[in-house]
Amino acid sequence: MRLLVHDLTPQEFEALGLELSPETTVISDDGTIKPCIGCFGCWVKTPGVCVLNDKYQNMGQLLSKCSEYIIISKCCYGSYSPFVKNIFDRSISYFLPYFNNIDGETHHKKRYDNRFSLSVLFYGNDVTEAEKETAKDLVAANSTNYSRIKYNVSFYDNTLSLKEGLQ
Amino acid sequence: MKIAMIDGSPKYTISNSSRLLGKLEPMIRDNNEIVHYHLATKPFTEEQYLELCGMDVLVFSFPLYVDSIPSHLLRMLLKLEDFMKTNRQKPVTVYAIVNNGFYEGKQNHIAIRILENWCLKCGITFGQGIGTGAGEMLDFISNIPLGHGPLKNLGTAFQGLTDSMKTLTSGKPVYLSPNFPRFAWRFSAINFVWNANARKNGLKKKDILKQL
Repeated sequence: MRLLVHDLTPQEFEALGLELSPETTVISDDGTIKPCIGCFGCWVKTPGVCVLNDKYQNMGQLLSKCSEYIIISKCCYGSYSPFVKNIFDRSISYFLPYFNNIDGETHHKKRYDNRFSLSVLFYGNDVTEAEKETAKDLVAANSTNYSRIKYNVSFYDNTLSLKEGLQ
Repeated sequence: MKIAMIDGSPKYTISNSSRLLGKLEPMIRDNNEIVHYHLATKPFTEEQYLELCGMDVLVFSFPLYVDSIPSHLLRMLLKLEDFMKTNRQKPVTVYAIVNNGFYEGKQNHIAIRILENWCLKCGITFGQGIGTGAGEMLDFISNIPLGHGPLKNLGTAFQGLTDSMKTLTSGKPVYLSPNFPRFAWRFSAINFVWNANARKNGLKKKDILKQL
């Protein structure tokens, strides 16, 4: 399954003119996502599922079926946008509370064995070089957490130019 | 000086972020006016954003979520950037304490850099960031005085941070682990935090490992 998470408006997304295969699941911002409350219920209460009852509570399960993960996000200070970051925060049910050691650093073990590739397309017309470097390091850190998956990061000045990266 | 202590944890109850602010506050209380903010309770009002623009110092304390800043705090920073650009009348310096649930504090470095980038966008000064590991331990050792036992390294880091704050100077980020063996931290975290919390919910280890 191909998972596409984006923070574009419906108009911006439509303007990309993407022809999506039936295997693609699209997650977008309809304004209803709840922020993670740091309860770790997805680890110790309802393992694998976020306890917050909205349509984003099964992100961990979706990732377990994913072979290609594509993210389109506005670059905010070298981070993802709040919506996309919210998706990451609500996806920790993909992991277990237990630990791995990767290159001398502690990380969480994965709940699932699948591997996927990660492509992150950042956009924004005032992204500084420092922000780009931070964003690259952020995606690299994310990929390490997902057990050193393959990843790539690209930057675009506006949402229309994202087309280049999605072809 | 007017100092805003901003608890960036989403938890309504006492959190590791609030515990860290609680340890820091006595070190900076003298001759300073301290105002507390907690982001979890409800979104900041326009009045609160304006108050933050009038502070000399902002101290953010927050948990690391997936290698960076939690989404609810990021939303607040975006709004505060707008207020800072239009309403700020005087210099503001930002300090940060980021805690994570791993052993190593260095994993907080990206969150601190994001906050530095935010300061540049706002036109304000980034002072210093501290990244501490083993956040979940704080609940068990909150009675130990800062600078002693497992909190020895944190005490040293906080002393440097308060020295910087008192003179509004900037310093290199400091990343620390607890003064506590890694194997003992790992054993405690697995058994006294995660497995223990699952047991309270009637779950066994095999339930925690469940795949859907």
